[in-house]
Amino acid sequence: MNVTFRGGVHPKGRKELSREAPLRRFDPEPCEMVFPLAQHIGKPAKAIVKKNDPVLVGQKLADADGFVSACVISSCSGTVKAVEKRRTIAGTMTECVVVDNDGKYSPVEGLGERQELSGLTNQDILDRVKNAGIIGLGGAGFPTHVKLAPKAPDKIKYLIANGAECEPYITCNDQLMRSQAAGIVEGLEIALRLYPNAECVIGVEDNKPEAIASMRKAVEGKKRMRVLPLHTKYPQGGERSLIRVIAGVDFPVSMLPADVGCIVLNVGTAYAIGRAVAWNEPLYAHVLTVTGEAVREPGNFIARDGTSFAQLLEACGGVKEGVTPAKALSGGPMMGVAVGSLEVPIQKNTNALTLLAEDPLEKAEKQMTFCLHCGRCSTVCPNGLVPALMADAIDMKNWERYEKKLYGLDCIACGCCTYICPAKRPLTQMFKQTKAEIMARKRAAQAGGKK
Amino acid sequence: MNQTLNLSAGPHVRDRWSTAFIMRMVLLALMPATVIGIYTFGLKALWVVLVSVVSAVGTEFLFDKLTGRPDTWKDGSAALTGLLLALTLSASTPLYAPLIGSIFAILVVKCAFGGLGKNFINPALAARCFLLISFPNAMTIYSLDGVASATPCAELAAGRVVNLTSMFLGTANGVIGGSILGLLIGGLALWAFDIIHGQICFTVLGAFTVFMGLFGGKGFDPGFLAAHLCGGGVVLGAFFMATDYVTSPMSRLGQTFYGLLIGVLGAVFRIWGAAADSFSYSIITANLFTPFIDTYIVDLPFAYRRRAVERRAPGWVKKPLLKSIPKPVIALTVIALLAGLALSGAYSLTKDSIDAQKAAAAAAAYKTVLPEAESFEPMTAQVEALEGQVYGSGFGRVYINEAMAGKDAAGNVVGYAVSVTSAEGYDGNVTLSLGVSADGTINGVSFTELHETPGKGMLWAEEENLSRFAGKSASKLTLGTDIDAITSVTVTSKAVVNAVNAGLDFINTQLRGE
Repeated sequence: MNVTFRGGVHPKGRKELSREAPLRRFDPEPCEMVFPLAQHIGKPAKAIVKKNDPVLVGQKLADADGFVSACVISSCSGTVKAVEKRRTIAGTMTECVVVDNDGKYSPVEGLGERQELSGLTNQDILDRVKNAGIIGLGGAGFPTHVKLAPKAPDKIKYLIANGAECEPYITCNDQLMRSQAAGIVEGLEIALRLYPNAECVIGVEDNKPEAIASMRKAVEGKKRMRVLPLHTKYPQGGERSLIRVIAGVDFPVSMLPADVGCIVLNVGTAYAIGRAVAWNEPLYAHVLTVTGEAVREPGNFIARDGTSFAQLLEACGGVKEGVTPAKALSGGPMMGVAVGSLEVPIQKNTNALTLLAEDPLEKAEKQMTFCLHCGRCSTVCPNGLVPALMADAIDMKNWERYEKKLYGLDCIACGCCTYICPAKRPLTQMFKQTKAEIMARKRAAQAGGKK
Repeated sequence: MNQTLNLSAGPHVRDRWSTAFIMRMVLLALMPATVIGIYTFGLKALWVVLVSVVSAVGTEFLFDKLTGRPDTWKDGSAALTGLLLALTLSASTPLYAPLIGSIFAILVVKCAFGGLGKNFINPALAARCFLLISFPNAMTIYSLDGVASATPCAELAAGRVVNLTSMFLGTANGVIGGSILGLLIGGLALWAFDIIHGQICFTVLGAFTVFMGLFGGKGFDPGFLAAHLCGGGVVLGAFFMATDYVTSPMSRLGQTFYGLLIGVLGAVFRIWGAAADSFSYSIITANLFTPFIDTYIVDLPFAYRRRAVERRAPGWVKKPLLKSIPKPVIALTVIALLAGLALSGAYSLTKDSIDAQKAAAAAAAYKTVLPEAESFEPMTAQVEALEGQVYGSGFGRVYINEAMAGKDAAGNVVGYAVSVTSAEGYDGNVTLSLGVSADGTINGVSFTELHETPGKGMLWAEEENLSRFAGKSASKLTLGTDIDAITSVTVTSKAVVNAVNAGLDFINTQLRGE
């Protein structure tokens, strides 16, 4: 048994569906490619192309607007068809750059050329990361150049590479670690230059022995770098869970990882940093798994941003015969978002399409009862919250108690409580909504105060 | 692909365990004790269990149908309530008791408050207490193999020796779910599978044991403590009643506190209150504190606990720590302790006057049964020679409490008076004073302790019935021939005649010879 954190759950991994499928590139035939301007946390990017502009692979379509923002890079060559509102994974209509892909994939000049790294200053590294449009590929999509620039870089003790991949079904990072270990380590070495006092720890769940072996081989002889096998448990790959395991620190939601001396990067992000800084290749393609019981041949891809889920599913042989998909998820079943249509573009932080043959929620809804106060939710909460009491406080509209006594805002929405609840109560969903409401009320109060 | 896809907020997978699954696991865990109970008490026990379970499930079914609510009767919680209630009953209970009890538990305690998850006290225990109050006599008939007798717990309360092995195995007289072995198998399995919280059940047992040891009057005598742990539903309560999710607190600290409350109250009630039902009342009392405990005691998230804050290097903003223990909790503890102390204090303050009153009552009783005597002289030597054992043979479980020689003004012995207790009354002890003249004829009988069924056993206390004994001079009376039995009061009649016979025998063999 390897090191782990308190709480957590053990949903069925189902990684066997796709874990042995090697990464393959997927370049769609001439088609329409859609690039949302708001793929990251922060301000949406500002489009710098207009209709009928010719674009090349690696060309910037939109520039970061402000500090916490990220630019958007074209993954194909062709002409800009429109800058308009399109439906995205979140289900809403958002501003997108639509490119008519000519299928030639002609690159911009210098794309993929080896760069000289010795003379680079820290600021150069951050600038390249920023211009490559890199955001956290683990899911949240926080702009990486912001994350890499904490107030006190010399106080960073751990640079944590997140290769846990605790989300069920998803296997693309497993395959990335197996085949591109050197590329990941290259990116981590570049990032490590920013933190003179840090050690780089690559955390991988122990259900991926090949990936652990491959990463171990890649870090051999490297200074300040090691691979740490982790116990297989959801949410082992959560930022806080990893910091808990590696640095031994718990910290409230009001603090950032950098405040406790940690920077956490997804292995995919680390790889993207390496490609961007050392090979002049901005982030326009990333790894992604297409899996689920309803997919004929589940697989792992290096997919180009802007490709639609439907195209990727087609590349997997489509839907398995005799199966009717019940639910399509962008991401895995724990953190993923259900999508109503597969005609939506994948984004930088889209790590999977999971097509479920059966919706487990249909059964769960029939089993729903009142809360028993069994306390299973609080035993699995990785933050040590008491979800049942939080739900009671919501029922009674007691926001004061929710926030001050139960620390409800510390919920990271990992979904463990909802998963484990024998009464099948939609706890995480309530907490997400309540958090949004409380934050909105606070912002309104602040705005009112200023006037 | 044109079919519609389901949309919902994540997470999109659920654990296998449902409410119904947990209820079934608890039902399964109760099976060893149930089976042993039915094996020990026979078909009667099976009937009590069946009536209780079926009426509980049936009540919920009807309630669901009549109110148009979802089919909650299928989730197994009603069956569990029914089974738990049955296990707290005697196999000899008339079948209307489990029927009414289950209906009360489901309809009033559970459904009326909103169903599973919304009840504020344990339905099975509430029903048991409801039955105890409504049918005090029917609820306390305990018989094994057709012989009615006091339960080990009642004997323990009377300070007598009990058979620990039979209590542990469940072959002693008592409730259906009395097998400690069976309960421990199920209870420990539930704990091992994380279905019940160890901090509740073990705290209950620990607190009870320590309190019994400190204030039980026998110190930490292992036999005494084990007997108390094995009797009166302590184990059933600790593992299956106190741990009921709905009515117990959520936080670890709260659960420990709740466990302490049950253990201590259980011991307080047992030492200074009605022995057999102490645990039912202590758990229900603690149930009522649960919302209060949940309001004030909440486990801090990991990041806010003292250790985590100290671990984060200094210089960072310190979040407010748990301001030690919340004030209301301290207040609650103090109130609980004060109540306990008040109980014991009141007892010791009034003990002397109670004793004096008892002595006066006894003296009055002796005077009634032996009016010729001017004064009574205790004959302690002969009573002490019995060493508190059951007197003689053929009288059932009968004890001689006291013996007096009645003297006239001149100091001549005119007769003898003894106080005799039979432990085999319909509802516990029957204690009477028996007066015998110097020539051996019975002068009179008077009850000092009789709490039998009104209109039945209690009829013995009436003048006309008491007077049946006067003037009899046989050395042993036979019910039916020497003494007319009171119709359909078999158990009490037998106990009364046994006590009188034992008293006669004692006077004839031990006192009159001198």
